[in-house]
Amino acid sequence: MNSPVDHQIPDHHSPVRSALQGVREAIPLLGGYVPVALSFGLVATQAGFTTWEAAAISALIYAGASQFLFVGMIAAGSPLWLVVILTLLINIRHVVYGPNLAALLPRSRHWPWLMHGLTDQVFALALTRLPQLPDVKRFSWFLGASLFAWAAWVVGTIVGAMAGEAVTARWPLLGEVMPFALPALFLTMVAPRFTDKRWALAMLVTIMAALAFTLYGLSNVAIPLAAALGALCFYSITFTHRSRRL
Amino acid sequence: MNSALWIAVFASAFGTLLIRVVPFLWMQRRLNSAAGLNAMPQWLTVLGPLMIAAVLGVSIVPVNPHAVSWVATFLGLCVTLAVWWRLRSLGWPVAAGVLTFGTVQVGVLLGS
Repeated sequence: MNSPVDHQIPDHHSPVRSALQGVREAIPLLGGYVPVALSFGLVATQAGFTTWEAAAISALIYAGASQFLFVGMIAAGSPLWLVVILTLLINIRHVVYGPNLAALLPRSRHWPWLMHGLTDQVFALALTRLPQLPDVKRFSWFLGASLFAWAAWVVGTIVGAMAGEAVTARWPLLGEVMPFALPALFLTMVAPRFTDKRWALAMLVTIMAALAFTLYGLSNVAIPLAAALGALCFYSITFTHRSRRL
Repeated sequence: MNSALWIAVFASAFGTLLIRVVPFLWMQRRLNSAAGLNAMPQWLTVLGPLMIAAVLGVSIVPVNPHAVSWVATFLGLCVTLAVWWRLRSLGWPVAAGVLTFGTVQVGVLLGS
């Protein structure tokens, strides 16, 4: 699908080709996006929203967990100001994503709208792939990957709202098997860090903490809390290199 | 949806966009200052990869956690890692992992 190091600057750089590369490399994200988007479309219509209202929520808010919370709280009759505040609180973890990509992406007047596509998954993919791409390809690559993921999310919501029950009844394993693409993809992204003991321990602590938080029903805070624990581990534990005498 | 609900949707959408774009633009401006790359706090460069590890931890939990799906997850991750070790790419390890995970799930379903 891609080479680990792709630093060579092509003689004839094509923005379209770079964007298509972004699209191609974002395809594994669909394994996680499509089943969740289908579920969201189904849940939203069951909560009383029309297909196009569900699609508008997906297109505008574009943040999985907070969309489910938004629809659920509206259906439960919660005050709208509380719905908005809790939706934003769930998304607050995204604050650290942009600064991490800032050094990897060129300046552009398009970022104010393009950053709309910066989800957990797109961030993880971009942080892994952008350093391996030449500067000239990065903007188009991000454009292709993020727009493709966003479009898949919106289309998945529409399909879920229109035929969610029929799809899940016809292919019951779709919702169980396809989401495995996400852990598989993220594993390939964190694996290169395991060559260093300090990073390996911090990564392991983070993964186990996130897993435990999720199993205990704290999936909304699992990502920032687990990452904070991993950072604490990274800064508090250091390994000394012993020189072996022959 | 009534107009109050639409306002709530737009407020949530705009707030989420600001959360994503403002820190990015702020950091790009800092990086273009005289301090350059030194303007990037070290904790931020540590937190980035750890966020990916956290997303991995969250996504490992199967949709329907039971013994078979946990075994399928373990085997799928082992195969993903093995193929990554050999090819050092993103696409094929993911495809092999999903295939393994799906084979275990479907195999058990057909066998029962």
